[in-house]
Amino acid sequence: MFLVPSITARLGWLRRSSSLRLSLLLSAIFAVGFAVAIYVALTLGQRAIERRVDTTLGALAQAAIVDDRREDSAAMILRRRDDLAGLPAPFARAVARGGGTIYLDDDLMRSERWRVSVAQDARGTPVMVAVPLDDSERAQELLSETLWTTAAIVIAGTLAIGLGAGLLAQRRLARINDTLGRLAMGDLTARTSTSRTRDDLDDIAAQLDLTAAELERLVTQTRHLSASIAHDLRTPLARLRAQLEGVPEGAERDAALDEAARLSDIFDTIMRVARIEAQHGREGFKAVPLDALASDLGETFGPVVEDGGKTLDLNIGSCATIQGDQGMLVQALANLIQNAIVHGGQRITLFAHGRTIGVSDNGAGVDPSQFAEIIKPMVRLDTARTTQGSGLGLALVKAVADRHGARLILARQDPQGLSVALEFAQL
Amino acid sequence: MRILLLEDDGQLGPWIANGLREEGHVVDHFENGKDALMAAMGQEFDLLILDRMVPDLDGLAVLKSLRASRDTTPALFLSALGEVDSRIEGFDAGGDDYLTKPFAFAELSARVSALGRRRDAGDTRHANDTTLRHGDLSLDLLARRCQRGGQTIDLMAKEFKLLEYFMRRPGRLVTRTMLLEQVWDMSFDPTTSVVETHISRLRAKIDKPFETAMLRTRRGEGYVFGA
Repeated sequence: MFLVPSITARLGWLRRSSSLRLSLLLSAIFAVGFAVAIYVALTLGQRAIERRVDTTLGALAQAAIVDDRREDSAAMILRRRDDLAGLPAPFARAVARGGGTIYLDDDLMRSERWRVSVAQDARGTPVMVAVPLDDSERAQELLSETLWTTAAIVIAGTLAIGLGAGLLAQRRLARINDTLGRLAMGDLTARTSTSRTRDDLDDIAAQLDLTAAELERLVTQTRHLSASIAHDLRTPLARLRAQLEGVPEGAERDAALDEAARLSDIFDTIMRVARIEAQHGREGFKAVPLDALASDLGETFGPVVEDGGKTLDLNIGSCATIQGDQGMLVQALANLIQNAIVHGGQRITLFAHGRTIGVSDNGAGVDPSQFAEIIKPMVRLDTARTTQGSGLGLALVKAVADRHGARLILARQDPQGLSVALEFAQL
Repeated sequence: MRILLLEDDGQLGPWIANGLREEGHVVDHFENGKDALMAAMGQEFDLLILDRMVPDLDGLAVLKSLRASRDTTPALFLSALGEVDSRIEGFDAGGDDYLTKPFAFAELSARVSALGRRRDAGDTRHANDTTLRHGDLSLDLLARRCQRGGQTIDLMAKEFKLLEYFMRRPGRLVTRTMLLEQVWDMSFDPTTSVVETHISRLRAKIDKPFETAMLRTRRGEGYVFGA
């Protein structure tokens, strides 16, 4: 069950392996080169042998005096040109052509292949000389076998080296790939740790490890810094709270406690935005069905909105399931609902369709020219600061959107009002 | 209860220690992790309250060492690090609860008693019950039905969860933050009055039509069910 996909994945990898592709190409070039070279060598070799044989035959004929006596032997047939009786028909045809190589259907003196030459003997009589070629043929075959075997070994060797290099590179590339994946998932301790051959792949791996180490150092530093800030700020806040609890009960104490709580809330939000912005990868992500998220929020905040004298409508269509941090998304949408309760109109709508989820209201809205402004931290359009809030709400929503690679869409409602939505990217 | 407190702040440490002593607990207060770990290894405590950032050995490391030696004493983290990832670290280290500074003493006290009762197997008492009962109020967890004095009460899903949480902790102080964390799974304060609103809806259903109230508010501290 588990093996099959892994083999398929491996094969898929191999198909894309550059070294294997290169070795396939080289093998093909070698094969063509070998074929041409072998063909040329064999053809030329045969012709050279034939020429050599013809020269020898001519010389033999000239050295002999051929009479009516036949001197056929397994090594040579030498006859007058007009006395070819008893020889198979191909001899006569070869003589008619003026010589050449013939192939016999049946052995003649244990030879199938003969070289036939027409010459003159010592007295100038036209004669036919023929010798069997089986020995040279065997030599040719041996040569051809040797050449083809060598070619096959070289090509197989090239392919094997290509496959081996491909597999080796694949192992390292897979490691680099895996490391990149783990870094993307938020595991900053991931390293390729390959350094044996010091080739180009190892250089890339080493650079990747260096970059990852730097990233880890920076993130750790940021975490330490934010931890120190949190400690240095929350400890005095905690002391303040402790002191206030020691003060005798009364309206002033309650007011002071409220202020302390607000201070602490503002700080919490700043820290939360900083923490969200410092996070990376898909750390803490799970499958979040947007419709379920919206209806859950509707149930939690519906009564709150009603008690605030407004109505919360749910507009939930068919929704996608996205990968995200549920806690963060709840926080972002709770902020949007809170904003709508404080600044928006009477009717608040929580909507979710496809890969989009957001909140709209029918209040005064915000001028589109100010959209870019309101997502900046600490900016509140209400300059008199009469309403409550730290002005961090949308900055947090923006941070959550960025963390999820989602688009934060601000739009004006028709006829009036503001709509703020998160649109998650298609995976 | 015998409580080990690890808190290095010169002001908060005594404040917590004295507050807990006033409630009748015995408190051993340490200002650095090493001493606290030595003490926790050598003696029996009913509860550990650990600050995360203290000299020598931080609270997280102290608890990890204890859990590694199979010590199951309930532990509550106190920390200036309140973000989700820090909380997760705390729970992963074996912490049973996590309280972010600054906090009200009542909040700490409610959590201390909750953890103390967990130690006394208080929580497992109702863990397997499919119907929770208190007086004439009953909550059928399987049929998801709520009844009081023979009348069936229609509850929304969140109200049901809220009531279940209370009914599992009769007579105990439950704070707003505890409810946000446990019922809504929110480790942040949504600034809107989520808890107050849902409590008031729940009351309108389970208390208002009847003579006695089950759910009471303890001003500035939280809520108590069935006290």
